[in-house]
Formats: sequence, structure tokens, C-alpha cells
Amino acid sequence: MTANTVTPLNPAREPDVDAPVPEALAAGRPVLQVDGVNKIYGNGTVALKGADLTIKQGEFVSLLGPSGCGKSTLLRIMAGLGEVTTGTVKWWEQDYGVVGSKGRKLAFVFQNATLMPWARVRKNIRLPLDLEHAGNAPEVEKKIDDALDMVGLTGFDESFPRELSGGMQMRASIARAMVTEPDLLLMDEPFGALDEMTRNKLNDDVLKLWKEKGWTIVFVTHSVYEAVYLSSRVVVMAARPGRIVDDIEIKEPYPRSPDFRVSTEFAGYCRQVSMALERASAMGEKKEGNDS
Amino acid sequence: MKTPLIQNERFVQIAAPLVVGVLVLLMWQLTVMAFEVPKYIVPSPVDIGQSLVSDFSSLFNALLMTLKVTFLAFAISVVVGVAASLLFVQSKWIEISLFPYAVLMQVTPIVAIAPLIIIWVNDTTWALTICAVIVAIFPIISNTTLGLRSVDPNLLSMFRMYRTSRWQELVRLRIPSALPYFFGGLRISSGLALIGAVVAEFVAGTGGAKAGLAYMILQSGYNLQIPKMFAALILITVTGILLFGLMVWMSDRALRNWHESALKVEH
Repeated sequence: MTANTVTPLNPAREPDVDAPVPEALAAGRPVLQVDGVNKIYGNGTVALKGADLTIKQGEFVSLLGPSGCGKSTLLRIMAGLGEVTTGTVKWWEQDYGVVGSKGRKLAFVFQNATLMPWARVRKNIRLPLDLEHAGNAPEVEKKIDDALDMVGLTGFDESFPRELSGGMQMRASIARAMVTEPDLLLMDEPFGALDEMTRNKLNDDVLKLWKEKGWTIVFVTHSVYEAVYLSSRVVVMAARPGRIVDDIEIKEPYPRSPDFRVSTEFAGYCRQVSMALERASAMGEKKEGNDS
Repeated sequence: MKTPLIQNERFVQIAAPLVVGVLVLLMWQLTVMAFEVPKYIVPSPVDIGQSLVSDFSSLFNALLMTLKVTFLAFAISVVVGVAASLLFVQSKWIEISLFPYAVLMQVTPIVAIAPLIIIWVNDTTWALTICAVIVAIFPIISNTTLGLRSVDPNLLSMFRMYRTSRWQELVRLRIPSALPYFFGGLRISSGLALIGAVVAEFVAGTGGAKAGLAYMILQSGYNLQIPKMFAALILITVTGILLFGLMVWMSDRALRNWHESALKVEH
């Protein structure tokens, strides 16, 4: 991850605070429009080439691809955490300044829990609210209680992160993302380091919350199964240079139960996505072969 | 069933070095007695103990003087060192421009510049304090600066995503991240403040009412009061150990809930 290349963002937040919300959140309206985005690092590495992607309100989109295909880079750009070299990104059909205003909040869940080790769970979860100077009015505290409850961490609010298991830390991280009631949730391989049981459980939890809250989610993973199980769309990427090579719709209706994991439809989708991924990997290798 | 004392980790931690100490003292005493070594060459532990009691008032006054310089220097080092670190992390340019001078201060032998400072600064206490600060400040600056920069990059990204002010970033993220490094600096610096105070006094050679332990050692040396010399030396050492212990305790109090360095690992 290229975390050190983060550039400070412009602090223009106010203009859209009272803009009409329902329109922006109407199903089918674009939440994110990535248009011809190229990202070239200072050392000449092409991390992303000609990325075009539109993500609509209410979608659950997975970015899937081999290591080094730029999926994390793309996600960070979507979070406004990295500048593009050329191309444009729009949030709710506007510039980044709109992010953070009412009905247009985004949250990011990192690969590891990224909690503050010195702060208790509750303090970690309330961090985004503290940064917004939300104070500690009863309704703010209720939001935190609700977030804790939703991820099943009620009773652990006074624990320190190190006292929790890896899965619980990840839950705390998700609770911190949802406490601001985000409209767009960006998740960067959030369950990559967890065992399969915990991962499956958290997958179901995220799906449930996504449906309940009407979020839009962009989810980076390198697990075909996870991508198919969760997503309404799987975007397949190839490496060297990082680019989008396929966009597969998963037409299975929600809610999806664990039964879906063992269905023939699931197997069919997995095969389709795997083949796309193999083609993508082959592209990267071929390019690499030409390079050497 | 009661655990035998020998299996109690805490007991062993205290008892083992104590036993070694007592054995060494005993051998020292016996050797001095057996070979009839004169007091003015190597005093026995008993002689030193007697001197500690008989010269208590002069030794105690000297100890207070040394402690005063040490604590003053340590406090100034912490305040100025932390302020310098906070300044350094504000911009790479400030750090690039000023850090070499911090290093310069660190590498210049204090004995070489102490005479100058003593000439320039009239008040002896302040002259000694300035010397001790020059010795003690560097670990605070370098450790705290390192700590303020050692922030989880993802957490930093998150703070920037929420468009936090630099102040919030500093207070909520950088300062807590820097604490373990800062306490590491404190441990080193506390000992150096004492060393700086003693060395400066050796150079200054201040006598009279403002005499500290270093002067006591010099004077006892001239007068061949070797037991008193050892007694002063012991006081310096004990002060150093207590200071270090205090720093460890403080660091443990501040970090024990979360930082790896202060965690008790259960097997």
C-alpha cells in the first residue's frame, strides 16, 4: 500500500450541507464515476491505466485481481486519498468537496483493523464523530451504542484493542466506519487476515448491514468466492499496468444465505469469475515476459 | 499450596542481584582486612558506611545541590526537547535546517565547552544546569521526533479523510503514537542529566555553599578522605538508579494498557 503518498485534501466541506439528499441517494444514481483515470508514481510505475468505472447507488461492487493490479490504489483514489495523474473522479456527480456533506459521507475500512492501540474500543469507534466535533450528546452516544450493537461488540466498549481477537478488532473497525452512517463504504480486503469461519460470518454481517442501511459498497478482495458471494457486480482487474478488464454482474437475488455458497449457480459464477481472473493474470504475466 | 519463594519471579528479581551485591561487599571487606590495605588507598565497605554516617550533613547538602541541577536540567531538557520535536515535525524544512545543530550539541564534549559556559554565565547553578541540558537534551529531541513521525499511515489517511486540522492530528494521533518513544528518551536523558551535572561541576570546581557531590569527590581526593569519596560516589550512583527507576515506573504507568513494551505476557 502506498500510504505515504497521501495528499491533504481541500477543506471545502460546507457548500452542500443542506443540499437535497433524497435525489442524490435515489437508486440507480451514480455514486462514483471514475473516468479515464491513470495513476503513475514518481518512479514511473504505472499503477492504473485508463480506469473507467461507474458505481451506482445501492450497488455492492467487488474489485478483484492479482497482487499489484492497482485495486487498492483505485480504492484509495475513490476515497480521495490519492491524486490521479490524469482522468477524473466524481462523487455523487460532483467534485470531492461534496464528500462529507449530508447524505454523502464515505467511510474506509482498511486491510487491518487500524485501531488506535492506546484508546479503548468505544473511543476508537467514536473517533470519526470526535473529529467532526459531534460532542457527547445522548444521540451521539446512542449512535455509538448502536454501532457496537450492530457488530456484536456490546460490552466490549471499555476493552483495549489488544484485548480483542482479530475478528473482533475488524468488527470494531467496521463499527467505526458505520458510526458516521456513511452512504459509500470502501473496504480494502478487510477480512483477508481472518480465518474462514470468521470471514464468512463477517461477510454475512456486512451483507445484512448493507441491505438494512442502503449503503453503496466497494469491496477489494482477492478471493473469488468472497467476491461472488457478496457482490452484485465483480470488477476484474489485471496487473502491469493495473487496469480493469472485466465487469461481471452477479444476478443472484439478496438476501443470500450460506446455502448460496453450495449452489450450482454459485459454482457457475465462481467459474466465470475465475476464468476472467486467469485471463487477467495471463495478461499481466505476458506483459511482464515482454518487459524482461 | 504455597509457592516456594524461589519460584516467585518478583522475589527472585530482587533477591538475586541483592545476593550478588552482598557477596561482592563481603569479599571486598574480607580482602581489605586480610591484606591490611590502608583506608586512603581502598577503604572497606564498613569504612564507607561510617563516612556516610559521620559526614552525612555535608554529603546531604552536596546531594541536594547536585539533585537541584539534575532536575532543573532534566525539566528544561524535556520542555525544550519536546518543543523542538514539535517544531521539527511541522515541516521537513525546519527539521533539515535545525537538526544538524542538535547533533552538533550532542557530539561536542561537554568538558570542552563547560569552561566557556562557566565564564559566560555568572550564576553557578545556571551555568551547571546549561551544561547538563546540553548533555541531556538530545535523546529527548531525537526520540520524540522519531515518535511523532512514527504514525500508522492508515490512521493518518483516515484522519485526512475526515479532514482534521493539524492540531487534531497532533493531539489525537501524533502525540499518543510518540509516547513510547518519548519515554524511551526520558530514560536515557534522566541519567544523562545527572552525568551532565556531575561532569560540569568537576570542570567548574565550585566550592563553598554551592558544592555538589562532584566537588565533594574532588575535595575528598585532595584530602585523601577516600571513604568520603566513595560515599559521594555511592550517592551519585543511587541517585542515578532511583531516577532510572522513576522513569521506568512512569513509562509503565502510561503505557501498560496498550504498548508492547509495557505489557505483561502470560505464558
